[in-house]
Order: sequence, then structure tokens, then C-alpha cells
Amino acid sequence: MENRAKNIIGKVDIPLLGLFLVLVFAGLLTVYSASFSEEYPQIYSLDKAYGKQLAWIVISLIIGVLILTLEGSFIRNSAYIVYGVVTLMLLVVLFMPAIKGAHSWFKIGGFTIQPSEFAKFATSLAIAHYLSTSGIKIQEAKTKVIVFFLIAVPGFFILQQPDPGTLLVFFSFIFVMYREGLSGNILLGMFFAIIIGVMAIFFKASEANVSFFGWVFAANYLYLFVIVIATVLIHFGITYLVMPRYRAKKYIINMVSGAIAMLLVFSCNYAYDNVFKDRHRDRFEVMFGLKLDRKGVGYNSYQALSAIGSGGPAGKGYFKGTLSNDKYKHVPEQSTDFIFCSWAEEWGFLGSFLLIILYTAFLIRIIMIAERQKSKFTRIFGYCTASILFFHYMINIAMVIGLAPVIGIPLPFFSKGGSAILGFSIMIFILLRMDSERKDVLR
Amino acid sequence: MDSFQHRRWIIILTMLFVTVVFGVRLLYVQVLNNDWKNRAEQITHHKVTIHPARGLLYDRNGELLVAVNQVYDILVTPKDLKGIDTVEFCSLFKISKTEFLQKIEHASTGYNVSYKASTFIESMSKEEYSRVVPYLKSFNGFDSKRRTNRGYPNGVAAHVLGYVRKISAEQYSKDQKVGEKYYNQNDYVGVTGLEKVYEKELRGERGSAFFLRDYAGNDKTNLEENYAISGNNLYTSIDLKLQSYGERLMKNKLGSIVAIEPSTGEILSLISAPSFDPNKLSGREFSENYKELLNNDTLKPIINRPIYNANYRPGSIFKLVQALIAMQEGVITENTGFVCNKALINCHNHEPPSNVQIAIKHSCNPYFYHVYKRLIQRGEEKSIFKDSRIGIEKWNASVKSFGLGIKLNTDIPGVKPGRIPDANYYDNEFPSKTNPYGKHRWAFSTIYSNSIGEGEIGVSPLQMANLAAIIANRGYYYTPHLVKKIGKDGSKRPEYLKKNYTMAAAKYFEPVVSAMEMVVENGTAMGAQIDSIRVCGKTGTVQNKTFNDHSVFIAFAPRENPKIAIAVYVEYGTWGGIWAAKIASLMIEKYLVKELSEKGKKKEKEVLDAIILDKHSDFK
Ligand SMILES: [Zn+2]
Repeated sequence: MENRAKNIIGKVDIPLLGLFLVLVFAGLLTVYSASFSEEYPQIYSLDKAYGKQLAWIVISLIIGVLILTLEGSFIRNSAYIVYGVVTLMLLVVLFMPAIKGAHSWFKIGGFTIQPSEFAKFATSLAIAHYLSTSGIKIQEAKTKVIVFFLIAVPGFFILQQPDPGTLLVFFSFIFVMYREGLSGNILLGMFFAIIIGVMAIFFKASEANVSFFGWVFAANYLYLFVIVIATVLIHFGITYLVMPRYRAKKYIINMVSGAIAMLLVFSCNYAYDNVFKDRHRDRFEVMFGLKLDRKGVGYNSYQALSAIGSGGPAGKGYFKGTLSNDKYKHVPEQSTDFIFCSWAEEWGFLGSFLLIILYTAFLIRIIMIAERQKSKFTRIFGYCTASILFFHYMINIAMVIGLAPVIGIPLPFFSKGGSAILGFSIMIFILLRMDSERKDVLR
Repeated sequence: MDSFQHRRWIIILTMLFVTVVFGVRLLYVQVLNNDWKNRAEQITHHKVTIHPARGLLYDRNGELLVAVNQVYDILVTPKDLKGIDTVEFCSLFKISKTEFLQKIEHASTGYNVSYKASTFIESMSKEEYSRVVPYLKSFNGFDSKRRTNRGYPNGVAAHVLGYVRKISAEQYSKDQKVGEKYYNQNDYVGVTGLEKVYEKELRGERGSAFFLRDYAGNDKTNLEENYAISGNNLYTSIDLKLQSYGERLMKNKLGSIVAIEPSTGEILSLISAPSFDPNKLSGREFSENYKELLNNDTLKPIINRPIYNANYRPGSIFKLVQALIAMQEGVITENTGFVCNKALINCHNHEPPSNVQIAIKHSCNPYFYHVYKRLIQRGEEKSIFKDSRIGIEKWNASVKSFGLGIKLNTDIPGVKPGRIPDANYYDNEFPSKTNPYGKHRWAFSTIYSNSIGEGEIGVSPLQMANLAAIIANRGYYYTPHLVKKIGKDGSKRPEYLKKNYTMAAAKYFEPVVSAMEMVVENGTAMGAQIDSIRVCGKTGTVQNKTFNDHSVFIAFAPRENPKIAIAVYVEYGTWGGIWAAKIASLMIEKYLVKELSEKGKKKEKEVLDAIILDKHSDFK
């Protein structure tokens, strides 16, 4: 037994574990500073956010160590069971009393548990298990449908809470699918659709007008016109540049994508006018920088950017923040979704840049680990982990620095929140455990 | 081995791309661009202005002239107005609905913006405030602020003290553009009188404190504090008792009293009648009261008469100056006599003016006709025109050395120079600018009325009082001033410590002083006699075309080591001796003896009973 433990510890990936511990520790210190109260100065005061966070970190590490002692095969075999249990929890939690208008939490004593945080690793386990089953080919429609349902069932329950931010994270599995062989065109198509859609909303929201030889167009109609022109140009490009026998197929693709693009612009315009509420429209206007809103919907963003900007190149120093902490509270949610503000304010550009570098290094290390697996299960699970963390990182930071509308989603390892820290830790430790036996298992 | 291995690079590149975008954005927000730093400062920094206490004003004996009252301003933030019951509000604050709407409109326009609080009702007294304060909370958007205000325990010397008012838009923008940029839009400044002249000394130096505030606006951390420096108290030269007494004597009369201590130039009292209670311009009813004082009252009490009207002709009093200059210039001696030739200029019957004293005692017009002729036409040029030019320039310089025709550098705002004509004046300005006499087209015969203080001479009551002080001092004066000390251990302004000598030597003053004593003993101003004091004086009558003449009297007392010099103007008070002399003697007696004699009391009653003009008088 002792030998075995030594064996496992010796094979654990030290860079990943190290980066994990650095992020968790930095996160704890930031929560400590952001929600510090002179009444409870000790970091282990369970009355305050930092004490609870510390407790959750300790619990996470204990569970993490326990995971390291498990057999890899056991983890793999429990995938569906874990998935089933967590999905059941997602169903049950809908009947719990609402906290801040959402049925997302189980309340046990002073602690709350948020099952949607566990859904992330549970769904990852299930997808990894399913896709690594021999004979499953991602190119087959049946596979896609089953994966879709594996994601959609917990996703549906999460939407009922409602927690759209977490649901958004479930879209990150598209990266996993892509890595496993999903046609790149789908990803590319989605990418273009997002670009076209965002631009359409931008033109719509900006209500810009373009004067053209005395004719005044709304810019979004000009944009539509540009898409039509592009389609026509590509049509002629195909006529002259592509070999005759390939032309027919390319024409169809060109026509279909042009039509889809136009439809997308139309539906964006329609959605903007008819589906969006004023508060959504305001959020877009604030995000695109069309409106500097000090109060109202732009408040969070304005305060957050002020806090970050006030950090300057080198920051105000640890515990010296004047906007994003509990004493001043200029930044809302400064110890959860907007925790990055506290960090950026206290450590300045040097600190915030270091942090995004650390995150990127962490993500790339996970991909490197995933890629060195012989086990398909581990590789897919690794990609799930990387994609989910990437989405969290991307959406959270983009929101905080004003590049995306305000979406409630935590910054992994930093934001206060026990379930999140536990959920992410479980993912990392499962990956570490699976990785440590990569040479022993051939699967 | 799977064929999609290379896709890891696409995913890694995507991550790196996102991180580069974040890095650039952070570099911009935190390092390259300062906007967000400034916005953060706006959010967190809170500057609190610490207003210094404005200095108080005391009289020469330490009696408080200007004190401080506690008042309350009602503030309105138009943006926050919600569900106001206008009818209830208006009846509580006793204003009309139109007034209410006007004030709200005013509070949201100009440099008042709707999300900032601005004054809605100004300077409510403590009693008024305690009546409305229980209901104030129920009106969203209204708030109150405690402030100190000027209070005048004695209700006198309104013109001397001046008043304090919220800075005008013009003065504020001037201060911002070319001034010292000291004031804020809601600051109070001295507008007239000593409050204006000594504004800098009185206001002190504003302090400020910087706080870091939290989201709710609570000041949490004190970053910096600059203490305010209180304003200096002013110890004025005014004698409160004399001032009050003078104002009482001038009830129902129009005119001025200026009393000066000759040995220092300190103004003991400066009275403009009719006067008003300075408290009227301090409280909530400022605007109404101001309009009333300025426009609706035909007697215009807002005017500070001792300095405002510098176009009074000095009349016979000017003969004193003529005599002094003539003796100094050597055109006459003390014993020069002339014939009282009524053909030259009118006169009354009196003993022959065989010397200066007798001429002054009887105020002989022909005598001073001759004196002035000798001063103007000195025989230095053959042409009487050229000769008169030389003469008038010399004469002008001499007269100006008596503080006449020049702007006295006093600490009363708005003093005027009056007029002592010179060659240029007759060349280019008189009788009118469009049709003047012209160079070498006037001579003594054209301007002889100046000889008896008529003609084109204009002086203010302040200058006349200063003339009395000059004669009392036998030849010099300190510029009249109102402040003895700035601050408890301070001193007066240095310019008030300087003696200004006239061009007439001291020895020429004795015959004039004797003559002035005779004027009071058995001349034209017997009404000014005080049994125990040797009073020297001279009457004057300022002719007035439309109504009764003005009654003027200057005097000083006692003859030796004079303690008080005084000028009294009673407008439309007919002949000089009647009212002006009586009032002057009462002032002197009150100041020097404190208790009035039986004779004085009788005089006092006469004066108090006299209604020369009241506010209903209709005249132009
Ligand atoms: Zn005569």
C-alpha cells in the first residue's frame, strides 16, 4: 500500500500540479484581500468568505489525494454512474428553495453545494467514456446525437435553474469533438456565424448610417449588401478558378452559406428588435463601447474597468485596493465573478498579465498531457478539462475587461465558491491520476 | 495513432490568440490609457471643502458690529424629485406655485444641473427651519444644509459694513478667468462696504480634505487634510455709540455725517440718511428688501451718500481753502482787506472785510472774488487768457493737496474724486464736451464763481470732513479710513499711517482757525455752540435749483488738540446754520462730553422732531 502511494505520487505531473496549486493559492489570497473584514482578520475565519474558501480548498485537496489512490479503471467504469448521480442532483436541486432567484444550490448548514459545478466533470467523464468505447466513430450521426444528449440533459436542467452562464460552458465540448474528428467545417462555420452575427448586432446596435451618393443607408443594410456582393464575387471566383468538375458542388456551398449569412443578419436584426429586451440591447451597446453607462446595466462593467485601470502598470499593492474589495465595494461581486478586478487592481498590468500567462500555460499543459495519452478515455477527458477551463477563463476575463457582455461565470480557482473549486479540483486530480498510470495501461 | 493529432495546434493557437487579445486589452486599460484611472479616481475620491469662519467686525471700543447667525438653506436635487405634493409643499414653505416651478426650473438650468443639489430656499432662520424640518423628509429630492450668516446686533452702519451674498455668476466667471480662481459657485463674498474691501482678510483660507469613499458614498479613509484658516476679525474705527446717535439724529432727513479723528484719519462715524437695518440684506428676504431699498423707496436708502455724491458744490466752506492757498501763494496776507463791492458779486451787509478773519466770519463773497482773481490772474502773462491758464493750474495743484478733486485712497468702496477744474477742463469739457469754451477763450471773468465754492467745483461729504480734519491738524491729513486693525494683533493698512501735507504751511492756518471759532461764537453758526467746548466751524449752503438749498456745516473741536472733525450735510435743509450746525454740535458734544448739557438736550429734541423729508416725499 505504502509502496503504491509512493508510486503514484512519483508519477504525478509536477508542472500541472504546481500550476494548479499556484492558481488556487493566488486565488485564496485574492479572496482574502477582496473580502477582508477587520472583525475576522484570520484567513481561517469560517465566518468569512476566505475562511470558507480555505476550508473548501482543504476539502478539495483531501478529495484530490483520495482520487489519486483510485484505480484508473475504477474511475472510467464509474463514469456513467457519476453522470447519473449528478444529473439526478440537477433534477432534485430544481425543487430546492431559490437563492437570488435561482434554484441552483443545496443548503447544508453554513455551506452551499452547487451541483451544476459537478455536472462539468460528470459530463466530461460520460463523454470521454462514450467516445472511447471501441467502435464509436464521431463521424457517424448516431454518435453526434448521443453526445448531444449527454450534454443536453444536464444542460436542460441547468437552464431551468436558470443558470445560462454555466450552460454556455457546455458549448466548450465542441472543441473536444473537433479534436476527436468532428468536421472542421462545422467549427469554422460556427466561428463565421458568430463573427457575422456579432457584426450584425453591432451595426444594428450602433444605428450607424452610411451616406452613399446622397442615399442614406442604415449600416446594417449596407452590411447585408456586402454579403450579397461577396457571395456573387465568390460565384465568379468559382467560375474562373475552380476546375469544371468541382464547380457544381462549390456553387452549392457558396449559395447555401451566402443564404445562411443573410438569414443570420436578418434574424439578428429581427431578434434585436423583437426578441431582445431593452436591458439586453443596453448590454450590447455598453459592450460595443457605443454607450458609456455609469449607472444601470453598464454599472458593473464601468466599475470593473475603473478598478482594473486604476491598478496601472504595477498595481497598488496587496491589500491596498480602493475599489474592488469589501471595504469600498465599488465593484460588485468582487470576490466571485469579478475577482479578477481585485487581482488586477492590486498587482497592476504585471500581475494581470502574469495571471493570463499562468492560465494559458496551465491550459496548454493540460493539452500536452492529454496528447501524450495512449488511453483515448484520458485524452478525451483531458480535452474536456482544457475546454471547460478555457471557456471559463475566456468568458470571465472577457466580461470583466469589457470585451463581452456581463455573464455570471466564475474564474476557476480564483472566484469564491466551494462547489466550483471542488469541481475543478476533481477534474484536475482525475486527470493527474489517469496520467500517472499512462505507462501502465493500454486502452 | 489518430489522424486528428494536428488539431491540437489549432486549439492551442486559439487559446494563445485569446490570451494575446486579453494582454493587449489589459495593456491598454492599465498602462496606455489613463481614462479608466481618472474614472476610478472620480469614483473613489471625495473632496470635502472645509469652510473657514468669516472674520467678525468690531467697533473702536470692541463692541461687536457684525456677528454670526446660524441659518439653514433648503437644497433641491431636481432629478430626485418624486411625488411631491406641491400644494402641501408650497403652503409649508409659504411660496406660490409659480415661484415653486420657477425655482425648480432655475435649479436645473444654467450652471445648476439637475443631478446636483442647489439652493432652493436660502437662509431660513432657526425658528422657521424648526417649523418645516419635521416635514422635510417626506419630500423626496429636498434636503437642508446648515450655514452661518451675517448678523448685525445693533442694526446700524449698514453702508459702512456692507453685506455678504452668494457670488454672482459674473464675479465667479471673472474670478475663474482672470482672478485667483479661489471661489466656488456656492461661496459667499462681500459685495459692498468693508465686507467687500477686506474680503480677502475676512474670508480666510479654505481648507480641504480628501477621502476615499465606498460605493454608498461614505468616507472611509482620509488621504489628506489641509486645515482651513479662519478669517481675520476687523477692528474698525467706527464708534458704535456715535454712529447710532448720528443715525438717530438723521431720522427723517436726507444727507450725510462724516466724523473723523484728525490725529489719525480714523472715521468715527459715517452716516448716510436715510439708512436701513443691515439685517434686511442678510436673511431670506434679501431680494425683496434689496429691490425695495434700491427702487421702490424714492429716497434710495441703498445709496452711500457720504461718498456717492461728489458733485455737491462746497459753497462758502471753500472760502477756507481759498484763503489758505492765497496766503501761501503770497497774493494776500492775513491782514489784506478788500471792499465788499456787491456790484462784483452779491453779498449781505456786514462790517468791512479788512482782514481774512473778518472775511471768513462774514463769508464775504466780493472779498473772495478778489482773492481768487489774484490767484488766477497773477500777471505773469500779458494775455489774460494765457495768464488764467497758468493761474488755474497752480491753484488746481494747491487745492488738490487738500484731498479735493482726487480720489482718496480710503477703504470705502466706490469713492469718487469730485472735481476741481483745471485748464483742460475749460478747454475741452465745459460747458459741454461738444461745445467747450476752448483754449484761450476763457479767463478769470468766465470762471469767477469758483471763488466762493460755486461754479464747477464738486466735492463729497467725506472730502469735506477731511478738510475739517486738515484745518484741525493745521495742514495735513491721514487718508480717512475705517479699519484700525486687521486681526487681533494686526495693524491697519500701511498707507493709512502716512501724513499727507497740504501745500499751505501751518502758520497760515491760525487766522483761519480763529475765524472758524468766531463763526460759531457770533457768526453764521451760533447753533453749533457748546458751552464747555471751543468749536470751530464753517457753514455752507449748496444752492439747489429745484428745491430748498442743502444745509452744510463742517467743524472740529476742541480748538486745541482737536479730537473730532466733522462734516454734516442735510439735503434740502435750507440755510447752513440751521440743521447741519446743530447736528454737528450734538455729535461733537456727545463724542467729547458723553452727557449732553441742558442746551444740548433742547437742541437734540429740536433735531429729532424735525421732519425735513420722509420717504413719501415726492421730488426729482
Ligand atoms: Zn461782503
